[in-house]
Amino acid sequence: MDYAIYTEGLTKSYGAVRAVDGVNLSVRSGEIYGFLGLNGAGKTTTIRTLLGMIHPTAGRVEVLGQTVTRNGRGPWRQVGHLVEAPAVYPELTVREHLEMARRLHNLSDPKATARVIDQLGLAIYADRKAGTLSMGNLQRLGLARALLHEPALLILDEPANGLDPAGVVEIRELLQRLVHERGVTIFMSSHILTEVDRLATRIGIIHQGRLIEELEAKQVETLRTRRLEIQTRDLTAARSILTNAAYGSVTTQGASLTLSDPRAVEAPDEIARLLVNAGAPPTHLAVVQENLEEHFLSLIGVAA
Amino acid sequence: MNAFLTALQVEGLKARRSKVPLLTAIGFSLAPLVGGLFMIILKDPEAARQMGLVSAKAQLTVGVADWPAFFGLLAQAVAVGGALLFAIVTIWVFGREFSDRTVKELLALPTPREAIVGAKFVLVGLWGLGLTLLVFVLGLVVGTLVDIPGWSWALLQQALGDVIGAGLLTLALMPCVALLASVGRGYLPPFGWTILTLFLANIIAYTGWGDWFPWAVPALFSGAAGPRVEQLGIHSYGLVALALAVGLVSTFLWWRWADQTR
Repeated sequence: MDYAIYTEGLTKSYGAVRAVDGVNLSVRSGEIYGFLGLNGAGKTTTIRTLLGMIHPTAGRVEVLGQTVTRNGRGPWRQVGHLVEAPAVYPELTVREHLEMARRLHNLSDPKATARVIDQLGLAIYADRKAGTLSMGNLQRLGLARALLHEPALLILDEPANGLDPAGVVEIRELLQRLVHERGVTIFMSSHILTEVDRLATRIGIIHQGRLIEELEAKQVETLRTRRLEIQTRDLTAARSILTNAAYGSVTTQGASLTLSDPRAVEAPDEIARLLVNAGAPPTHLAVVQENLEEHFLSLIGVAA
Repeated sequence: MNAFLTALQVEGLKARRSKVPLLTAIGFSLAPLVGGLFMIILKDPEAARQMGLVSAKAQLTVGVADWPAFFGLLAQAVAVGGALLFAIVTIWVFGREFSDRTVKELLALPTPREAIVGAKFVLVGLWGLGLTLLVFVLGLVVGTLVDIPGWSWALLQQALGDVIGAGLLTLALMPCVALLASVGRGYLPPFGWTILTLFLANIIAYTGWGDWFPWAVPALFSGAAGPRVEQLGIHSYGLVALALAVGLVSTFLWWRWADQTR
């Protein structure tokens, strides 16, 4: 299998604290891997070990088929990264930052800077000092630095941080284009579940340093449980009717009743008819699907 | 070599865009200007007596108003003032990467970390030498304007060697500052180290053991405590070289091996 990122038993300890604990990652080329976790779950430590900035206490890291070792060498010509908030030299302009990055990446094409400035919508800020940029534009500069050398692998830590809603959509579309048109692999950490849900083709969930679940985007769909939410003017009567009709457990949540029985979820019209005929007509009937956020939280709850 | 030159260009750009070179140049320019003021005072004893304390201080520091004394003053300014100003340059070049958290942009690159650290050291060296030459050239201008007696071309050559020697010895102690800026990940630990070594150098030089303490050697070389042949031995230069080697090697190794969490 052709893996862009492969880790085996990746562990990083700080004294007695295990920031990352035996993580096995295998990110295939051309996929968008969403790395989900709460703050302090071990996302950034994992990313820094992938980039050779932190040396694992145990385990092995391979990036683009090359083992990342303690000497700082790696396939960095082919890797673009954004680790935590983008850091800048306040007195240098956006263009100077990208020119510096271009030189340090040994890129001979001077047009690369102008190209990425256009790509990230930074043209009007190009000659502005980085110290005066808004959080969103700093994030764009960080992404521009990651994309400048047209890498095969992008390792992005919270790429949507600080962006306004339009910026979030724009960057999402840009990343999707890179994957579909150029076959770029993206490994992105986030705690913004909707972003991961919309973008990732595979999702890994890290909690307290452990990779507790890894699933394909298609699996996310099947994992999501669906339920039928019912509101009536007489909840007690409705509850009794549904229990008598053997629709499994009926739970009360505030002013609603909830049914998880697949027969109810698949045929809400039958439930409506039952309640109407029994004299407790529904005022609200909706099939609610658990989203990634709820799945994530339930998983974390279980794991915790 | 190509990677090193690239890194040097990048480090040069960062320095050019900041105000630190200008501020250090202004700071170091005070030495020849103040020295020139002392020479004016010493040239006219009558005026010196009328000026009271200032004149007394000038007498203590320089003694007589001539070119050898003035050049000696410049060398001492480079040795003692350089210990502080060169350290500020070093702390800024290395420490800012941690303080501004920009170090993470320098680690996973095709340009090796060694090239970046090497470029930083070369920048500090060139910067320090530039400041040293600035003091010397400005000293020549000030000395000529004040019309100090005792000039000779042979003296100029010797003074140039003394001032640059004091500058190089001071610069040789900067890798330890760079190491502390890196390990301490910012400005405060290396600044504390600089103040501590300046303090200890003074104390140890007073006790007569300065030739064994590398941080006292530049000032003793500049003649701050008398002729250098009486103050320093080959072991003194060896200890400065040892401090240079330890600082350089440790900084390179630290950038290569240490976990970078900033």
